Amino acid sequence: MSKYDAIIIGGGHNGLVCASYLSKKGYKILILEKNENLGGLVHCASSLKGFSSKILNDLKINLPTLNYKSYVVALHSDQQHTILQENDKNNINFIQSSANEENQKKFSSLINKYKLFASTLSNFMYEVPPRLKSGNSEDTWKLIKMGWKIRKLGKTNMREFLRIVGLNIADELEDNLSDDTLMGLLAHESILGSNLGPRSPGSILSLLYRQAMQNGLFTSEQYDFHQLIPSLEKNCINQGVDIKINASVKKIITTNNQATGVILKNEEKIDAGIIISNADPKTTYFDLLGTEPLDTDFIRRAKNIRTKGNIAKLSITLKDKPIIKNIEKEKMNAKFIYAPGINYIERSFNAIKYDKYNENLCFEFHHCANVIAANIYYVPYVKNTTHAKESLIQQSINSLKPFISNLEIENAELLTPNEIEEKYHVTGGHWHHGDLEIDQMLMMRPFYGSAQYATPIKNLYLCSAGTHPGGGITGINGRNAAKKIMGDKK
Amino acid sequence: MNQTNISYKQPLLETPFHAKTQERCYAHDWHRWAGYKVAKQYTSAELEYTAIRNTAGVIDITPMHKYSVQGKDAKKFINKLITRNVDNIQPKQVVYALWCNEDGFVVDDGTIFCFDENNFRICSGERNLNWFEDTAIGFDVIIEDISHSIAALAFQGPLSCKILHMLNAKNIENLKPFCFDQFTINNQEITISRTGFSGDLGYELWCEPSQAHNVWDALFSFNKDYKILAAGLDALEMVRVEAGFIVVNADLIAAEHALRPNRMRTPYELGLAWMVNLDKEFFSGKEALIKQKNKGVEKKLIGLDVQGDKPAVGSVLYNESKNKDIGIVTAAMWSPSLKSNIAMGYVDKEFMKLGSKVLAEIYHPEELEYRKIWAQCKVVKKQFITLERRNAVPALI
Repeated sequence: MSKYDAIIIGGGHNGLVCASYLSKKGYKILILEKNENLGGLVHCASSLKGFSSKILNDLKINLPTLNYKSYVVALHSDQQHTILQENDKNNINFIQSSANEENQKKFSSLINKYKLFASTLSNFMYEVPPRLKSGNSEDTWKLIKMGWKIRKLGKTNMREFLRIVGLNIADELEDNLSDDTLMGLLAHESILGSNLGPRSPGSILSLLYRQAMQNGLFTSEQYDFHQLIPSLEKNCINQGVDIKINASVKKIITTNNQATGVILKNEEKIDAGIIISNADPKTTYFDLLGTEPLDTDFIRRAKNIRTKGNIAKLSITLKDKPIIKNIEKEKMNAKFIYAPGINYIERSFNAIKYDKYNENLCFEFHHCANVIAANIYYVPYVKNTTHAKESLIQQSINSLKPFISNLEIENAELLTPNEIEEKYHVTGGHWHHGDLEIDQMLMMRPFYGSAQYATPIKNLYLCSAGTHPGGGITGINGRNAAKKIMGDKK
Repeated sequence: MNQTNISYKQPLLETPFHAKTQERCYAHDWHRWAGYKVAKQYTSAELEYTAIRNTAGVIDITPMHKYSVQGKDAKKFINKLITRNVDNIQPKQVVYALWCNEDGFVVDDGTIFCFDENNFRICSGERNLNWFEDTAIGFDVIIEDISHSIAALAFQGPLSCKILHMLNAKNIENLKPFCFDQFTINNQEITISRTGFSGDLGYELWCEPSQAHNVWDALFSFNKDYKILAAGLDALEMVRVEAGFIVVNADLIAAEHALRPNRMRTPYELGLAWMVNLDKEFFSGKEALIKQKNKGVEKKLIGLDVQGDKPAVGSVLYNESKNKDIGIVTAAMWSPSLKSNIAMGYVDKEFMKLGSKVLAEIYHPEELEYRKIWAQCKVVKKQFITLERRNAVPALI
């Protein structure tokens, strides 16, 4: 008899959530983390807005809450910044904006429209997506229910939803707005974390989907970000989960198409009835499992999922707390975005198609004491070569310079997508373990034949961001995977 | 061979045998095959057929796709690719194999030559490089398309061994079916395998393009006494139907080509169950094939003994009360050897059993009018012709 019911490979947030749900039901779990610290890509993230409160309730985790409303600042090169804040009724207030009233109104109504559609999509988040063509009545029902949820929007809204769902955000914005900053702001929200430009078809869907995952776009931070992983870890340990750090898995052992255990890099062999991989799908299939027991078509699909990350993480330590020009001190608790217009972003996106980056980088950042944490995009993931990192850092700093009046840098660190891949063992250094686009969503995530958290190998499951509903720090993947596993074992 | 780039801007490529085949190609009837042109018929298909069955025919099969598979996982890769088991394959052996996609549908068939554990060659009718490379991900093998660097002839017929023997191919008569070796003929060292597509005694000759003319001439050097002929693809088609061999994209649509999902076929539907080894730990399509084996097939490729003398080309097959179409003919001909009208086709499972009776609806063209014939057919084995000399060792010399 093996000591563990299940082994979870990877101690990221999804692994911890999955372990929490399973151990709550009496499963004996071992988590194997390759790095020194748990949390994985959470350390790269800057926001906990998306973390599911349902999961926190289920697991009875009390994260310390923050009680302030944060701001969103769209930076402008003439220092006439646009400042937004979400009010108590979850609507957008313009604190400061150079856009005219009509634009502001239309902007708010767009946000509200997207909110409505996103709430339809969010119905799908907590469900294991149905299998297509399984012939199983449960799956058919689920599909019908999904259709019904969209139909329930009403005739006009459903038509509008279906009209825009495949559309690009630039068209939609240009139809409604004329203010570049506001357009840039929304375009930024729709392409961040995917390999799309504002004019790429499907960028609206990415926006809706993100919104569905995060319960809004410009919502305030609710929880203290730094407490998430320690809380989850504590919860796991309390429920008897064993956690091994610095434990790198070399191979998943299979016999007769069934996963039976893992071998670590130090050749230690650990058996378990269930293996759950929180590594991204490509790593799971190509490195951990190996292609031997996989069909050629399956390998093709696994190979072809788009996992090229395009965001670099920049962390700058300043001598003092940063001061942003024309922003009052009390509004410094904000997310700052520089994406000054659709064409600016599109041009920046253009370069990445050729594995280059534009000198006009887009970025978003926030600060914590003296440290500025920024996401710089579009920075290409380039295979088998390195970035001219020094010049990339300089470029990033140059981009920041016009806005920060006391940019006295003590230290600047940049993680390119390649380095993110290496440090966090995520193929392509992709936030979401794979682009969140229509062909890689729902029952197609990560790809046909591997969806529903299951794999062709019996007792091998996926729980990473590569599965439905996707990336971001939501924890839903881990929860859904746990539910699926418990359902299968019934 | 220096012109290996196939493009629509240039005419079809000529094989290394072209200068020789052209001399004999009275009909100038060329067939397009994988970017090359090869003779469809030289003078008349029937005559060339007669040569294959009675003396020997020489067929230029250079355009066939050939891939070399090398590396320490070569055998493992082959075992993952194909439905048969090659664990016990020995160097200098050849296996006929099928490979399937994840749904168990046939991607292609071909012959696999084993040089040693780490070195194989796959010959196939369709392009497969992409399929092989994707199958090989994670395996330590290098797959190379070597189609253009090997010239190939099929030398088929009862006199084939005798002529190779007279050319001093040492011990050729003891070369067993599905084996190959190096031989010297006409001072050229070439590879000869006892394989072929005729169901007859026959060989395939593999050589460098530079040796091509020499080899060709050698085969014809005894033609004063033994009338062997260059044979075209039409004649090859006739002998292969008699032998019951299948052609991908004629008798079945390759899984990678089919646009309609219900047009693909599994080995079981092709009547090639013997080629599927479900005891093997894993191969592409295994799960699906286990399922189909348990469930049974809905239709199957069978042979038909057709009444009358009008070939049932493209015929639809009906039940005896003519109210339900139950299948279709994929290949049909008048067999000169058997003196009978034969066909291959798919029938629904109620008619799969040998001896079942079906009707073929034949539209026979007669001077701008069709004569419609309802021909009685009996379901028989696809192998219409079985010749003892095909597998005899030592071979007929």
